[in-house]
Amino acid sequence: MPPDADPSGSDDALLRLYAQGDATAARRLSARLLPRVYAHATRLLGDAMEAEDVAQEAMLRLWRTAPEWRPGEAKVTTWLYRVTANLCIDRLRKRRGVGLDEIAEPADPQPGVAQQMQDRSRHEALQAALATLPERQRQAVVLRHIEGLSNPEIAQVMEISPRAVESLTARGKRALTALLAGRRADLGYDDEKAG
Amino acid sequence: MKKPDRDTGGDALEAFFEAARAAPPQVPKALMARVLEDAQEAQAPVRVPIWTRLGEVLGGWQGLSGLAAATCAGLWIGWSPPQALPDAGALIFGYGSTELLSNTAELTSFGWDLEEG
Repeated sequence: MPPDADPSGSDDALLRLYAQGDATAARRLSARLLPRVYAHATRLLGDAMEAEDVAQEAMLRLWRTAPEWRPGEAKVTTWLYRVTANLCIDRLRKRRGVGLDEIAEPADPQPGVAQQMQDRSRHEALQAALATLPERQRQAVVLRHIEGLSNPEIAQVMEISPRAVESLTARGKRALTALLAGRRADLGYDDEKAG
Repeated sequence: MKKPDRDTGGDALEAFFEAARAAPPQVPKALMARVLEDAQEAQAPVRVPIWTRLGEVLGGWQGLSGLAAATCAGLWIGWSPPQALPDAGALIFGYGSTELLSNTAELTSFGWDLEEG
């Protein structure tokens, strides 16, 4: 269920409750928002430990901004994606030159062993390919095709026009296709299609 | 004519994206605990204005309005006591005449008659 469909209150309302001292609001907001923030950071950074640091910092900024938050001006998720991406980009710039071999694996999924290995291989392949993209292309591709945001939403997150988003995602996907073209058979996709 | 998915290899990539979407990174419990701890620390204590707190102690707006009404009634009775009631000021200062009490009720209420002789 998308977070906004939660009938118990919008992100704005929960953030206001948090600012007013409600003890349960932080727990509800964290349960709703932290998975998105952490996943986004993991995908942008390719490093689970660094993603944890970024996610914690992004959420801390949310708590601190809560008393001044003006409902309706921006979506909480949009604001969080922006903060998370900016924190990730800062870290990526600091560690430029790190090789693909040093990029950590994404967190484990939980299917059967064979499936798990194959999924992990696919994740690694995609993550490694994503890591070679320029930061903005990577951010746009992840937001569009993995996080599932619309182009106008991504435009708000990245503070660019929707056309620029389209351009970034198109270029990013072209680059990913070229990088992953030779891996489909290795990763079992062609077998699945044949079967 | 432009075909975005073909041009960008969207069909081939979609399988990879689907795999990524199907297994999002799970939030470590320790991270959730740290985030909640931060939230608790960052949550400023709520400052309740003194009038609000006083109002709560006295029973909310109902209590305050009752108190205000009682205060006004007390002042009025003190300033101008009904004739049926003895003048408390006169009793205290030893006036015996009811005529005097009734004629000078407003003055004796606060002992002003004593000051003026």
